[in-house]
Amino acid sequence: MNKPKLGIFSLTGCGGDQLQILNMEDQLLDLVSRFDIVDFQEGSSRKEEGPIDISFVEGTVSTEHDLKKLKEIRARSKIVIALGNCAIEGCIQAMRNGETSLRERLKDVYGVDENFFDAKLSKPITDYIDVEFSIPGCPIEKEETLRAITSLLHGDSPPYYSYPVCVECKLNEYPCVITEYGLPCLGPVVRAGCEARCPGLELDCIGCRGPVEGAENFSAEYKMLLDLGYSKKDIMNRLRVFSGELSEDFLGGVEDE
Amino acid sequence: MSKKIHIDELTRVEGHGGIEIFLKDGRVQDVKFNIFEGPRFFEHAIKSVYYDKIPDITRRICAICTASHSLASIGAIENAFDLKVTPQTETLRDLLIHGEMIESHALHVFMLALPDFLGFPDAIHMASKHMDAVKSALELKKTGNLIHTALSGREVHGMNDRVGGFSKIPTVKQLEDIKDYLVKVKPTTELAVKLLAGFELPSYNHSDNILMAIDPGERFGFLGDSVLVSNGSVFPQSDYEKLTNEIVVQHSYAKHSRYQGKPFMVGALPRVQLCYKKLEGTAAELYKENKDKVRQGNSISNNIAQAIELVHSVDRAYDVIESLLSSGLEQESLVEFDVYASRGVNAVEAPRGLLYHDYTFDDSGAILKSNIITPTAQNAANIEKDARVIAENLLGKPDEEVKQALEIMARAYDPCISCSVHLVHL
Repeated sequence: MNKPKLGIFSLTGCGGDQLQILNMEDQLLDLVSRFDIVDFQEGSSRKEEGPIDISFVEGTVSTEHDLKKLKEIRARSKIVIALGNCAIEGCIQAMRNGETSLRERLKDVYGVDENFFDAKLSKPITDYIDVEFSIPGCPIEKEETLRAITSLLHGDSPPYYSYPVCVECKLNEYPCVITEYGLPCLGPVVRAGCEARCPGLELDCIGCRGPVEGAENFSAEYKMLLDLGYSKKDIMNRLRVFSGELSEDFLGGVEDE
Repeated sequence: MSKKIHIDELTRVEGHGGIEIFLKDGRVQDVKFNIFEGPRFFEHAIKSVYYDKIPDITRRICAICTASHSLASIGAIENAFDLKVTPQTETLRDLLIHGEMIESHALHVFMLALPDFLGFPDAIHMASKHMDAVKSALELKKTGNLIHTALSGREVHGMNDRVGGFSKIPTVKQLEDIKDYLVKVKPTTELAVKLLAGFELPSYNHSDNILMAIDPGERFGFLGDSVLVSNGSVFPQSDYEKLTNEIVVQHSYAKHSRYQGKPFMVGALPRVQLCYKKLEGTAAELYKENKDKVRQGNSISNNIAQAIELVHSVDRAYDVIESLLSSGLEQESLVEFDVYASRGVNAVEAPRGLLYHDYTFDDSGAILKSNIITPTAQNAANIEKDARVIAENLLGKPDEEVKQALEIMARAYDPCISCSVHLVHL
């Protein structure tokens, strides 16, 4: 049987999700031996044209170049997997979407009036293409990714977490950092799969795995943090880091109440 | 007659960039290091964010330099609010940055740079002939990641290193395990120096470089408060704008830096070249043996300088852990402090060179404005200078030969292009 052809692509981002793949030092050589890697810009000079069985894509679409590349990847791939918070929710570069325009940002950071680059407002790849699967996180978890890859090799679906971080926090018997220390923990509205790493270190969950499916309790979280004494601006900044524009959708206008 | 030599996309580098050489009538007319990684506007995103969440955002500027960004960010906040951390925190931060150097340099030297010299497209193909070296390199990289994880909470974008200290200190077991790993991987760091010393340094890129690096104090290292320049000048970190003088260039989302009107270089070569007298033990010996391969005028010797730093960081991490274990660690709470309207600057040596974070806060402790200058942004103009030298020296040679030389040169800087694209607030 031929080895499946694998592509690892990155658009605009920090490169952290493909770095997490390289960080699987104990499994890396075995892992790559199961695939024919046809494109991995950060790791190899080898590039092969033609169809791909599985493509991992990390990063946001932030330039016309990103968009063209993404469409090409979709056209040649059987399965596309959105890798990490950038690709799924837009992450930090989409944090101010809905608040400021691209023009304002260019003026603010580069001091230019015109978009003489080919910049676009940063958006997750899922705004432009359909993907078969997603692996969340900023960055992705190594274990989860390894399980996802193994599942795919066996023709199965990758793991999926439909419950919030609080569930794993309780299972680990960590003290609740909201009730114990009054920290602005986002665990109640954020996708699990990290074993509640931050509460385990007595820190608040900052939401790097993105909003949990449905995220019906976003407005309850918002009100709870208001009651704890955090300001509206502060709460919105915290919610926006990993859920960008989605924050307003999930809040359903509660901010204006 | 006009002609263009074009590398669409550099491979085996972090992020997305290319090089264009424009030739006219047999002469090099223009050279561009194009950065087409999209802009991410971090300085814009963090406006109005309360200080305690700033490091959690800015450490995400880059994955492979995440600890450097964390420490630059935390340090700038602590400088703004005049906060002094405990000696234990200082020691743990020193260990963290050595962990990042080990992880990042192991990846760059073995996986990204060495395939060029051994004639392979990547480390995976290199493994077919050099399995033992690749396996040991992965072990070395893992050791760096173990240090990073013990201190920051995970390999990439940690959370445990905070303003005022560490949320949780590493366990004795973690430190003992790391110590065993450090003993095991020490020979691999020496192998890195030996392998790179075995190749003749190319001469096609030779040209004078102005070098800059942090003054690490008494011992070789990556943290400090002032910046050394190869012309003998020393600047306090708060004067960084005099060193970086950034300008916007149209072909790049990264702004370019000039010092006294000239490009300059930051990274392992500047650190080793400016501070070689502070190297100790095996690193000092290996430097002495190979000092003709560590040349100020040859940016490609950045590779072997990284290898020498690998030796240093593994030794230093071992010493730090041993002293921590013998003196005993104490769980300390984060240092408390008041916020007020203030500005703070901090410089850190990231694996690929000097990194500056500069924040201005309002009286509530929220960000008013910021400025972040990354090493690759500072190196961009120097990479263009070298690309021009290469194009001139290899004029008339086949395009493929010129392209390969350009790639080897650019890769030697270990560029981190993602980092470089969200620069200074004007």
